[in-house]
Amino acid sequence: MRKKALALLLVAACATQLVACSGGGTGDTGSTNQNKPDPGKTNQTEDANGGSELVDGKFKETKKITVEVYNRNNDGGTDPKTNMYAQYIKDGMLKDHNVEVEFVDVSRWEEVTELNNLLAAGTAPDICVTYDYATIKTYADRNGVQDLSKLVEENKDITPHLWDWLGETNIYWDKDPETGTLWAIEGKRATSNRIVTFIRQDWLDELKLKEPTTKKEFEETLIAFRDNADKLLGENADKMIPYSVSYDVGWRAATLIESFIDPDISQREFYVNGFDDRKLTENGTKEAVRLLNKWYNDDLLWKDFTLYGSGDTTEDDFMKSGYVGAFSHNWDYPFRNGADSINASLKRLVGEDAKFVAIDPFEDSKGGHTKYVTSTAGDRKIFFPKTNDEPLASLLYLDWISDPEHIQYLQLGDEGVTCEKLADGSYKSIAATGDAIINSQYNIDYTITCNGLNLGDAAKTAATMANSYAEIEPELVVRANEIANIDAVHEQNVNVGNVESENGMGTTLGEKRDICYDKAVAAPVADFDKTWDQYYKDYMSAGGKEIQKEREEKWVSTYGDVQELPKK
Amino acid sequence: MATKNTQTPVGAPTKGRKALVYLSRYWQLYAMLAIPMVYFLIFKYLPMEYIVLAWKKYTFNTKLWDMEWVGWKHFIKAFNLNAADWGQESVIESLKAILRGDFWLAVRNTIMLNLLDLFIGFPVPIIFALVLNELKLKRFKKVVQTVAYMPHFLSWVIIYSLSLQIFATSDGFINQLIGWGVQLFTGNKFDGIRFLSDPKLWVCVYILVGIWQSFGWNSIIYLAAITGISPELYEAASVDGANRLQKMIHITLPGIRPTIVVLLIMAIGNIVGSGFDRPFAMRNNDVMDVANVISTFVYTRGILNSQFELSTAVGLFQSVIGVIFLLGSNWFSKKMGDRGIF
Repeated sequence: MRKKALALLLVAACATQLVACSGGGTGDTGSTNQNKPDPGKTNQTEDANGGSELVDGKFKETKKITVEVYNRNNDGGTDPKTNMYAQYIKDGMLKDHNVEVEFVDVSRWEEVTELNNLLAAGTAPDICVTYDYATIKTYADRNGVQDLSKLVEENKDITPHLWDWLGETNIYWDKDPETGTLWAIEGKRATSNRIVTFIRQDWLDELKLKEPTTKKEFEETLIAFRDNADKLLGENADKMIPYSVSYDVGWRAATLIESFIDPDISQREFYVNGFDDRKLTENGTKEAVRLLNKWYNDDLLWKDFTLYGSGDTTEDDFMKSGYVGAFSHNWDYPFRNGADSINASLKRLVGEDAKFVAIDPFEDSKGGHTKYVTSTAGDRKIFFPKTNDEPLASLLYLDWISDPEHIQYLQLGDEGVTCEKLADGSYKSIAATGDAIINSQYNIDYTITCNGLNLGDAAKTAATMANSYAEIEPELVVRANEIANIDAVHEQNVNVGNVESENGMGTTLGEKRDICYDKAVAAPVADFDKTWDQYYKDYMSAGGKEIQKEREEKWVSTYGDVQELPKK
Repeated sequence: MATKNTQTPVGAPTKGRKALVYLSRYWQLYAMLAIPMVYFLIFKYLPMEYIVLAWKKYTFNTKLWDMEWVGWKHFIKAFNLNAADWGQESVIESLKAILRGDFWLAVRNTIMLNLLDLFIGFPVPIIFALVLNELKLKRFKKVVQTVAYMPHFLSWVIIYSLSLQIFATSDGFINQLIGWGVQLFTGNKFDGIRFLSDPKLWVCVYILVGIWQSFGWNSIIYLAAITGISPELYEAASVDGANRLQKMIHITLPGIRPTIVVLLIMAIGNIVGSGFDRPFAMRNNDVMDVANVISTFVYTRGILNSQFELSTAVGLFQSVIGVIFLLGSNWFSKKMGDRGIF
C-alpha cells in the first residue's frame, strides 16, 4: 500500500517535471531559433551597407558585448574586470563606438576548462581568447564557433587598425584552405623569443669558472656546482640543485632538446613530427633526454621535479632562495614581477651580486645554437562563439584594441604612475601601487591582439623593453633578448586544413608526453632505453602515430611530394 | 508472507478507501517527504536524461534530443575496442591490445586501489572503535577520538602537501632522517627512497595516508553502534566470568555486526567508483601508471578535452558495474543470514 502511494507520487512528480522541463526546453530553443536568424540577417544587411547602423563608427543604439580577460590571481594584483585599464577600455569603446563592454574573467591556469563550461552553458563571452587552436577546432566541430571569414572581409574598411597591425598573415593564418572557413584570428607576437638558459653569475665568479659555451662545459660547470655545494650554500648544501627542470621537461629543457635536432631538418619532417609543441617526436629528442637522464642520476637535477605540478611555486622559491645554479625557461623569466622577480628576490635574500644571467651553452651538430621560436602568430587566438549576437561590435572592439595609441597606453600605463619618460624618449617602468598595478607584463591580457611590447618605433621599443622590468638591470634584459634571437628559426605556417586525428587529442597526448619525458629522465641509467621506448610507444599508440600519418598525407595533398614549403 | 495472508481477505474490498483514510491521517508526513524527493528528482533523476549523450554527438547550443545519434562509437573509443586486429592476431593478442588502453588501466587501478583500501582500511576504524571503547578514562578517550577524526576535515590538496614534506625524495622528513642516520653511521651519502615516485611505494603511501585521513571519522559510526549495545549483556558476561577480550569478541563485535555489514555492502558497491580529490591530488607523472583511476580519466579525457560523450559513456559503465556490485553484495549478505540494506 505504502509502496504504491510512493510509486504514484514518484511517477506523478516525474511526469510533471518532465513535461515542465521539455516544455521549457522547446520554448527555449524555439525562441533562440526564432531569434537566431534575425541578428544574423540584420548583421548581413549592415555588413552589406558598410554598417548602416554605424554613424562615424558609432552605433546609433548602444550595443553590449562581453570580453574574456585572464584572471591571474596574482598576489596584490588588481581586479581585471574593473581596474584602471579595464575602465580605460570601457570608456574608450563607449565613446568611439557606443559599445558597452563588460569583462568576464577566466582563470589563466584553467582557461580551457572554464571555456568548456561557459560554451556548454551558452554563456561564453562574445570575444573569447585561448592559446590552443586545437581547442577552438573542437568547439567549431561542436557547432560552437562563428565563421569569421565573411565578417572580417566585409568590414575591412572600417577596421583599419586591425588590418594594419595583424595583416593578412595573422588574420588568415587559420583559414581552412579547403572550406574557406575562419574559426579564429591569430593575435600577433611583438616578440618571438621563447626559451633561454640562465646561470648564477655570482657562482661562476666565486668558483672562478668561465661562462659555459658548450654542453660539455655546461656539464662540467654543473658538476663544479654540485661538488662545491658546501662552499656555495654552506649549511644548506643539501638543497643544492645544479640544473633545475620541472615536470614540463619539454618546455624547461627546450633549448637543450632543440640542440639535438638536425639543424638541416626539412620543413616537411619537422611538421609531420611536430604535433607536440614540446618536440617529443622530433628526431634527436631521445638523445637529449638521455643526457638529462645522465645528469639526473649524477645528482645534477632536482630529485623531486616530477612531484610538483603546473602552477606550483616550489621550484621558483628554490630559485629565489638561491639553491638553483642554472635553469632554462621563458627568455625573461627571472626578470618578471618586479620586486617579487627571481633576480630581485636573490638580491634581497642572498646578496647584492647574486643574479641569473642568460647564457647559450647548447650547441647543435653543426656548432650553431638553433632555437625554434614562434612566428608572429602562434600566440593567442581570438574567436567568437555562436552565441555572440553582436559580431560587428565585437570586431570593432578588436580594431579598437589594435589601435597603436591604445596599445601603447595599456602597455605603459600613466606617466608618473607606472612609468617615466627617459631622455631618449623611451620609458622606464616604476613599481605601481593600488589600482594602477598591471597584472600581466605590458597588460597583454587586455591587448589580446598584441603580445610583447610594441611602441611602433623599434629602437624606442627595445630601449623601453630593457627598462620595463622594475628592479632589474637593463643590461641583463638586453643580453637575454639577444641570446634568445641567436640562430632563431621562426615557425612556418603549415596550413593543410583540418587534420581530423588531431581534434580533441591535445590534453591527452600532452599528458602522455609529460609522462614520457618525466619517466625517462628519472629512470635509472640502465633502464633508460626501456623506459623511453615504453612510454614513447604509449604516446604513439594513443594517437601520435595516427596524427603523423595524416599530417604526412595532408602535406603531400596540399604541397605535393616536396620537402620544403613553397616560397611566397 | 504472514502479513499478506491476513491482509488480503479483510483489506481487499476497501483498499482504496483505506488508502484515503491513511493518507488523510498522515499527509503531513508525505508532504515533508516531498522536499527530499523533489531534490532527488531534480538533481539525481532528471539529469539522467543526459545519459543519451553516450550515443550522440555533442554540439553546443543544441537541444539534447536534436543532437545527432552516432551509435556505439563513444563506447568503442572509450573501451579501446579498435586496438584489436581480430583477423590478423590471435584472440588473446587482440584482447591484450584492447586492455592496454587507458580506460582499462584506469579500471584496473580503480579496483586495485579500492580493494587495497577495503582489505587494509576497512578493519582499522572497527579495531580503533573497539580499543577506544575499552578505555576507562573518559576525557582521554574524547581527546583521542577528536584528534583521530581531525584529518577528515583537511582537503586532499593539503594532505598531499603534508605528504610531500614527509615523503619527498630529496627534502622529505623521513628521507632526511634516514640520510642523517646513514651519514652518521656509515659516512655514505644516502640517495633517498622514492616514496612518491616509485609506483609500488606510492600505492603504500596512498593507502596509508587514506587510512590516516579517514579512520577516526569512520569509527564514529561504530562507536555509536557500540553505545546501543545493552549494558546488561556485559554485566551478565562478567557474572559468567568472561574477560575483556571475550566480551569484546562475543558481545561488542556481534553487537555492531549489522553496522559493519551495511558499511561493507556500501564499500563493495563503490569498488569501481572512486572519489576524485584523493587520486587527483596525490598523483604525479611518475606514478600515472597506477594512479590514473576512472574518475581522473573521466576528468582529463572528458572535461579537459571536452569529450563529454566519452565521459558519459564511461560514467554509465561505471554506474552499471556499481549497481551490479551493490546488488550482488546485498544478495550475498542476505544469503549469509544478515539483513541487507534493501
